[in-house]
Amino acid sequence: MPGIDQVLARAMGIPGVLGAGLTDWTSGLTLGTAGRAPHGDHDAAAADTAEVVQAVTRNATFDTAGGDGEPLEDLIITAGNSYHLIRLVPTAFDSQTCLHLWLDRTRANLAIARLRLRELAAELVTD
Amino acid sequence: MDSTSPSRSGRGAGDDRRPGPLDRYAAERATGALRGPAGCVYLHQGAVYCVECPTAPGVGARLATAGRVPPERWRHAESAAGAHHRGGQFLLQQGWLTRGELEVCQLSALLDAACFVLAQEAGATSFARGDAHWLGVIRPVDAAALLAAVARRQAQLDRLDAWSAADGAPVVPIPPEHPGPPDRPPLTGRQRRLLAHADGERTPGELAHALGHSAFLTLLEVRRLAAAGRVRLPPPAALPRRRPGAVPHQRRARDTAADAPVWHLPDPGALETTDPDVALLVRLRTALEENL
Repeated sequence: MPGIDQVLARAMGIPGVLGAGLTDWTSGLTLGTAGRAPHGDHDAAAADTAEVVQAVTRNATFDTAGGDGEPLEDLIITAGNSYHLIRLVPTAFDSQTCLHLWLDRTRANLAIARLRLRELAAELVTD
Repeated sequence: MDSTSPSRSGRGAGDDRRPGPLDRYAAERATGALRGPAGCVYLHQGAVYCVECPTAPGVGARLATAGRVPPERWRHAESAAGAHHRGGQFLLQQGWLTRGELEVCQLSALLDAACFVLAQEAGATSFARGDAHWLGVIRPVDAAALLAAVARRQAQLDRLDAWSAADGAPVVPIPPEHPGPPDRPPLTGRQRRLLAHADGERTPGELAHALGHSAFLTLLEVRRLAAAGRVRLPPPAALPRRRPGAVPHQRRARDTAADAPVWHLPDPGALETTDPDVALLVRLRTALEENL
C-alpha cells in the first residue's frame, strides 16, 4: 500500500530515469519529487509539466476515447538527449494529478518506462 | 523527496502579491488554525496540511460521491480520530483507503479549497494556536508553493473573466439545435459529463458538490462552455428592463391620434446571447432608451 514517496522511489528504479515527480496539473503544485529535475528546479518542472497537460486536456482534439477507457493516458516528449514521460493518474475520486519522468535517452527504453509508469500510477491509487 | 522544501515556486504568478496572514504564520513556523471569511487553513510548523471551505467539496465528499468511502464510515473515522487527531491513520488502519489515495485526495481537496480561501482579498482572520484537524497531518504543502499554485489557477479564471456572470447562476445548457455560433468546437469528456448533469437549476458550485468534483475546475469549465456558447449567461440584472414600444408622451398622443402602428423592438430580456459584447450593447441600448 504505497504512498506518494514510495511510488516515486520505485519510479527511480526504472532504467535510465534521472528524476520523477507527482504534480497537480491544474496548478503546477508539486506533490512529490525524487531524483533530479531539468535545470535543478523541481517546482519549475512541475509548473511547466502542468502547462503541457493543460494544453492537451483543454480541447477535444486529443479526447478521442469516447465513453470507454481513460480520455488521456500518456504524453511523451522526446528531446536530443532525453525523454519526458507524463502519465495522468486515474483515480476513483476527482483529482487532476500526473506522474512524470525525466529519462536519459541513451539508457532508457521508452516502451518499458511507459509500462512501468502505468503500473506505478495504478499502484498509487488502488488497493 | 520533500514537498515542503522552500524553493522557487512558479515564475511570475503571484510574485507581486502583498504578504498576508498565511505568509506571516508560515514564516513563524506556527501550528494551528487560521480562520478567515471564506474558510480555514490548518498549519503544522508553518506548512499547510488541510484547508476547509464550504465552496469546495472536501475529502469526505469527494470519496463519498465516488463511492470509495461511504459517509457513515467517514463519520466513524472522525469520531475515532481522538485527541491526537489521527483520523487519517484510522482510515488507513481500517483498510478503507490506501495511503496513496488518501494523500492524493487530501492534496486535491486542500488545493481546491485554498483557491477560494486564499484568493480572497484580506478580511478579518483569527489564528487559533494549537488547533488541529481531525484527519491529522497527512502530507503538508509549503505555504509559498500553495499560494503560487492558487495564483496560477486564478490566472486561468481571469482569462475568461468576461464570462464570470456564469459563476453564480444556474447552469442552463443551450441545446445543439438552437441557433448558436456557426463553428462550435467539440466538447471534451469532462464538459459533456458536466452538461449531462446540468438540470437548469444548479449553479456550478452546486454541481461540483453534487458530483464531488473540483469546484475550481467546474467554474473554469462552465466559463469555457459559456464562452463557446454552450451555456446560457444570465440576463444582466443591474439595469432596468426597457418597456417594449416605450415612447415619449407627446409622440405617443400624436401617434395614437394618427392611428399609426406601434413599433416593438425586441425585448432584451428575451434576447438570448452568450456573447458578453452583445450583452453589453443590449444593456447600453436599454439604458439609452430609458432616457429618450
